[in-house]
Amino acid sequence: MDTQLILFNGFNGLIVGAFYVLMALGLSLILNLSGVINFAHGGFLAVGGYLAYTLTPYIGFWPSLLVAPTLTAILGVVIERTMVRRLYGRDPLYSLLLTFGLAFIFEDMTRAIWGAQGVPFAPPEYLSQPISLDLFFVTYYRLFMMAVVFIAVLALFMFLRYTRIGVRIRAGTLDLETVSALGVNVRALRTLNFAVGIFLAGLAGVLAGGNLSLEPTMGANVLMPSFVAIIVGGVGSLPGTLVGGLLIGVAAGLTSVWFPSASEAVIYVIMAVVLLVRPRGLMGEEGVMT
Amino acid sequence: MSLLDVNNVTKAFGSLVAVRNVSLSIEPGELRAIIGPNGAGKTTFFNLISGLFPPTEGTISFDGTDVTQLPPQRRVVLGMARTFQITEIFPELSIAENVRIGVEVAGGYRLRPWIRKAENAAIQERVAEILELTQLAAKAGRTVGELSHGDQRAAEISMALTLKPRILLLDEPTAGMGDQETYEVTALIKRLHREGYTIALIEHDMRVVFNLADRILVLDQGSPLAQGTPQEISTNEAVQAAYLGKTA
Amino acid sequence: MKLRPDIVGISLILVLAPFWLPLVHGYEALGTRVLVLGLAAMSLNFLLGFTGVLSFGHAAYFGLGAYGCGFALKYLAPSTPLAILCGMLLGTIAGALLGALIVRRRGVYFAMVTIAFGQVFYFIAFRWNTLTGGDDGLRGFSRQPIDLGFTTINIADNLTALYYFVLVCFAIAVGLMGLLLRSPFGRTLLAIRENERRARFLGLPIEQHIWLSFVISCAFMSMAGALYALLNNFADPKGLHYTQSGDFVIMAVLGGMRSFWGPLLGAAVFVVLQDSLSSMTTNWQSWIGVMFVIVVLFFPRGLLGFLRRKSQA
Repeated sequence: MDTQLILFNGFNGLIVGAFYVLMALGLSLILNLSGVINFAHGGFLAVGGYLAYTLTPYIGFWPSLLVAPTLTAILGVVIERTMVRRLYGRDPLYSLLLTFGLAFIFEDMTRAIWGAQGVPFAPPEYLSQPISLDLFFVTYYRLFMMAVVFIAVLALFMFLRYTRIGVRIRAGTLDLETVSALGVNVRALRTLNFAVGIFLAGLAGVLAGGNLSLEPTMGANVLMPSFVAIIVGGVGSLPGTLVGGLLIGVAAGLTSVWFPSASEAVIYVIMAVVLLVRPRGLMGEEGVMT
Repeated sequence: MSLLDVNNVTKAFGSLVAVRNVSLSIEPGELRAIIGPNGAGKTTFFNLISGLFPPTEGTISFDGTDVTQLPPQRRVVLGMARTFQITEIFPELSIAENVRIGVEVAGGYRLRPWIRKAENAAIQERVAEILELTQLAAKAGRTVGELSHGDQRAAEISMALTLKPRILLLDEPTAGMGDQETYEVTALIKRLHREGYTIALIEHDMRVVFNLADRILVLDQGSPLAQGTPQEISTNEAVQAAYLGKTA
Repeated sequence: MKLRPDIVGISLILVLAPFWLPLVHGYEALGTRVLVLGLAAMSLNFLLGFTGVLSFGHAAYFGLGAYGCGFALKYLAPSTPLAILCGMLLGTIAGALLGALIVRRRGVYFAMVTIAFGQVFYFIAFRWNTLTGGDDGLRGFSRQPIDLGFTTINIADNLTALYYFVLVCFAIAVGLMGLLLRSPFGRTLLAIRENERRARFLGLPIEQHIWLSFVISCAFMSMAGALYALLNNFADPKGLHYTQSGDFVIMAVLGGMRSFWGPLLGAAVFVVLQDSLSSMTTNWQSWIGVMFVIVVLFFPRGLLGFLRRKSQA
């Protein structure tokens, strides 16, 4: 077997896995603290990407990298405050249906504003060069992307571990009642947590736009693998989500070396095996939200 | 041999030991109360007996069968039924339906997609019989979720009775009730005791305990503090110290 | 047995549909579609509304029913009943296997796992070009007239005959579900919906009952899928997609998931709305999305639940 081909697909898988990780961590945050499966998460991803596309001519690529996800997060806060919040504590069915409907609206709106055809969103020229001719697929942009994802994930984990709000979010995930009884403003905590999750989706959107191109359906396509990443890693465990995302990304990438048409199905096979052998997921705790 | 034999059980959650070395045996027909200050491990002890989780150490046997590792639904089949501190019922169904489901499951009809006329009549008769005993017959058609706290508790006990239990485990049956409701539920438990049911109950309200129990087990901080008749317990110095120490 | 007014009323409306539909600018194919999707929504609701288990991947079994039906007609034999049976077998077996894998999960987790597993079948249908026709869907089969021995019912060309054929299938399936729900077994499902802990402490093996409910629900779901394939002479991979699952769930919620007939009403409203929206605007998807939001925020008990509350107030 051609080593370069394996490297190529493995690396591609790693990139894709990094997207899954950003998506799935945001989904996980919201799911863990608020019990909401955010179906519109992919919609937020697309919005993030398109906003960066629109902003770049005015403020440049680098500022867009932060401004676009921030604007996306603000949109997220508006939606959380006006709609999602009213469904906390109700049957999860309702928040699921709400975000499901929102996903439809998001997709149609992005199509109406930016067009159904994909639009190219090019990162700065100097980032698009490959680092060597042998490894033509390893562009500086892709390395840069990996670095951004790494920094974002590291920042998230530091935030959750070392800041007061982060500690409260983690405590709320384990036992919301007690946290509430200790006088923490749970409403505000959930809003902030939602915003962090959506920020990550927006960031993933900007990065994905630069890697491929922008399409209204781009978010919906990464939504399912992100679910699988969460389940494989173990619901309730953020490190699990991280591992799950990378694992299925790389597995899908490598599968496409030998068996291209099965590259989508393989992640579900992994999920089935994990559920059979270790129902709570790779790093899930027994009894947490199962 | 007693009906229920709990032998030196210990339950630890990580480093927290909720129940330490507690033994208990209950004879057929007895009414046993388990009391203790808040956090004494009463509910944990009850959960061990009913099988919500297994003990860390020790054994539990029921009528000679070792049930230490059995899940709740298997213990139910052997005749161990329980109620909960927060009433567990089917809130959107009527009292009669609540009890009927229990009767059908106990009668082995749970997988049956049809029912014969004669079977149906027998089931309804049994439902009526139980509702008679718990004095809910007049409210049989009412939706349980809309009833008073006391009636909901009586409904829950009715459901436990559908299992023809050989021991009835009641977790704080009068929790959160006013005087009138407490009186009604106490009267119901007394009636069941007279009918010959073996009962173990956790209780907070001392009037209820001394009014009902044949014997009392006192737990404090997970360990057994004293055991005896109401008379003995009320004069026991260690018990008084534990309760006064808590309230002081 | 006493005649129940709701059953009499609904039977009259459905049996007479070919006569009154044209008066309201409807057409028979629309009526048939309502029946089929209504059956699907009612099958899902067997699980959702009457067992209290949230499956968000039921389109998979609907789609498997459709493909199974198409395969049988295309590769096996030109027989409509056999095709329906094959569709049901495929969907039910898949449901039984996956159900066993996920039956211990609860709540949001259950929903997520059902969604994700549902997508497996979508990708298989999408990718396995040679067998399934891939993105274009499965074509090249057509429903066959039904030979009853003494006479033949031409459902192939006569749309009215097709409507009544689907109505008979619908009636059998719905009748069976109704009987099941009024049986001791059905009551155990209500018990699980109402309070799982109490049900467990009555001695019920919860997982076994949820699994059975899941399989029954999948069986009728795949029957609806098979009928849908017959109706269109076509099996669509989109029918397996999770967005289709969402449509079924919203139909059940829109009509009222605590009532037996609610999902049928929900399906009727949904189909008519989709039909008229898609002829009026290209952004009809947004409007469906807006409908989701409105239903969730303002009519969580569905139309029937809302009407019932109104009449009590």
